[in-house]
Amino acid sequence: MDYNGGTVLAMAGKNCVVVGSDKRLGVQNLTVSTEFQKVFPVTEKCYIALPGLATDVQTLSELFRLKCNMYKLREEREIEPLTLANMISSTLYGRRFGPYFCEPIIAGLDKNNKPHIYGMDLIGCLNYPDDFTVAGCAEAALFGMCESLWEPDLEPDELFETASQALLSAADRNSLVGWGAVIHTM
Amino acid sequence: MKPGEVNLGTSLMAVTFKGGIVIGADTRTTSGPYIVNRVTDKLTPIHDRIFACRSGSAADTQAIADIVRLYSEMYSVNFGEDPTIRTAAALFHDICYQNKNALSAGIIVAGWDKYEGGSVYCIPLGGSLHKQPFATAGSGSTYVYGYCDKNFRENMTQQEAVDFVKNGIALSISRDGSSGGCIRIATITEAGVDKIFIPGDQVPTFWNKS
Repeated sequence: MDYNGGTVLAMAGKNCVVVGSDKRLGVQNLTVSTEFQKVFPVTEKCYIALPGLATDVQTLSELFRLKCNMYKLREEREIEPLTLANMISSTLYGRRFGPYFCEPIIAGLDKNNKPHIYGMDLIGCLNYPDDFTVAGCAEAALFGMCESLWEPDLEPDELFETASQALLSAADRNSLVGWGAVIHTM
Repeated sequence: MKPGEVNLGTSLMAVTFKGGIVIGADTRTTSGPYIVNRVTDKLTPIHDRIFACRSGSAADTQAIADIVRLYSEMYSVNFGEDPTIRTAAALFHDICYQNKNALSAGIIVAGWDKYEGGSVYCIPLGGSLHKQPFATAGSGSTYVYGYCDKNFRENMTQQEAVDFVKNGIALSISRDGSSGGCIRIATITEAGVDKIFIPGDQVPTFWNKS
């Protein structure tokens, strides 16, 4: 997880969620790109964030794009966040003894616009928090920032600000994270 | 480096110009990926017009600089005049070479004295001593060899030298994960030492879009 760098977080607010990441791609301490995408849209109301080994970030984002498109064709409806989380969890556990080096985070609104966030480890253990979830190189720093900055029932603008400040401050304390940040608000 | 040991990842530059020298450094100290200090001062005074730029193990370079600072102060007492840059560099070299197996220190010694004017001495990992018109050191230096070779000229003006160092450090910072934060620059001439601090948001930026 320390090879390419990168970190992500997601937070839940009042009828809204945010998910964000930094933009750095490195090879150990060489910075290779400052525009590396780690947060991917799955549906209009559901995003996944993939920190970790960059090749697995790209492979998994394409794999989940395939799986969600097939889901949509078969089910004739968009996938819900909890369903997506379980699908990702099964995919990762399918490689239990040769895992993808990626700890995905899911953030979205379900069909009733209720906020959902989920995190998991690299072999698919799901976490169902009601406040925030963090992953990647700066997760230790992010835990500290989120624990102190987050409070329940934040409006979208406030939630955006909270998530941004947590991400930026944590990124400033990790040499493999930074070079800009992206936050998506739903 | 032992696990948990603190590392001055670092980008360092030192350059002679007409009238003295300019030295510059980033401000990041790391322990693994964690940034222990993001506003470090790696430009350490050794004497009135002698500075050392430190890279490698933070503990090793601090300890060596403290010893050489002691010797430099004693030099003035014993010999009645300030030590030359060559003398200070020789003191650093002696410690770094004799203890080469135990130390992890890349140091640039630079300053102004009345005999040579501005001089820059580089002491890389093995403890060899190299007098050079300009020098770079630290993990970030590898990314600016081309920039420095292309843009260095003898007898630059002070402002040209400051810009050369500022841009060089900024380029290193943009590519090296172990370098970052802000830029500290010091100009040393007959008149004395002038330290400049460039905050992170004012560091020059370059092409970085995909």
